[in-house]
Amino acid sequence: MSHPEQAYYQALEALRNKDYRAASGFFKTAENQFADNLDFRILSEVTALLVAVKDEINEIEDESLVVEEMYSDGQEAKLRG
Amino acid sequence: MSRHEVLKKLEATLENFLSEAVEPEKKTVDGTRTVETLDEIAGSSLRGRYVNNQLSSWFSKNGRLLESRSLNEDDITKIANFLGNIRTGLDDSDPESKELSEKIDDWRERGVVPKRRLILKLKRKTTDKNLLKEFMEILSRESQYINSGEFEDMHLLSALDDILKSAELKADPMYAHLAGSMIYYLKSNGYKVEPFVKRLKDVEQTRLKGADK
Repeated sequence: MSHPEQAYYQALEALRNKDYRAASGFFKTAENQFADNLDFRILSEVTALLVAVKDEINEIEDESLVVEEMYSDGQEAKLRG
Repeated sequence: MSRHEVLKKLEATLENFLSEAVEPEKKTVDGTRTVETLDEIAGSSLRGRYVNNQLSSWFSKNGRLLESRSLNEDDITKIANFLGNIRTGLDDSDPESKELSEKIDDWRERGVVPKRRLILKLKRKTTDKNLLKEFMEILSRESQYINSGEFEDMHLLSALDDILKSAELKADPMYAHLAGSMIYYLKSNGYKVEPFVKRLKDVEQTRLKGADK
């Protein structure tokens, strides 16, 4: 099995294990050889989109945590001035 | 609906899509990988290497392959041909190899059978050719080919493997003749040559079939 084929296989394994970030990395390694494979492109692009969505969700959740900490720390009164 | 909720919904949708889409694709790739692994084992066997461990591992990983019915006819033919090649290289006097041979026979009985070719032989036409001159020419071409640099630093077994591949693909009888003399040389130096002999026989039968058409 060639290196890109191996990477594609690992990407599918990673997807099966719900390790989307790893899958996205493996898809990138394999993309040159499978550029014309429609199934590959759909899986690769949907995985990349999912990783981006997860990043965005993490960012929003991190922001809300900071706000909650400020309030629980007694900062609310100070913020209200 | 907040931005967070929209993203969460999108996340769930994409995850569902991927888990549904990955299974059929994985099955296809699994099938290809199974056949390719066996191809590699058959290649090693044809080079005279010890493949019992690899073959045992392949059988234990794919023990339920036939029951799963996930193989198409093309895969079955390939597996049958590879197992057939491996079978010829197994030494049945060794208990471990014998067990593997029996396993291969068992798969054959369960339908993993190589495609058979019908070979019709006719007597070759006699001609008035100057055979000695032809023989000298073929030796000369073989010598040039071997000295072309293509086989530099290569083991004779690997060179033989390459030459048999050329013999399988090309009409020029030089390759089969060269392979024959290499096999004879290896045999007289104590190497195991049965798998190569089988390949050469196949090449020769195909060539004769072409000549008789």
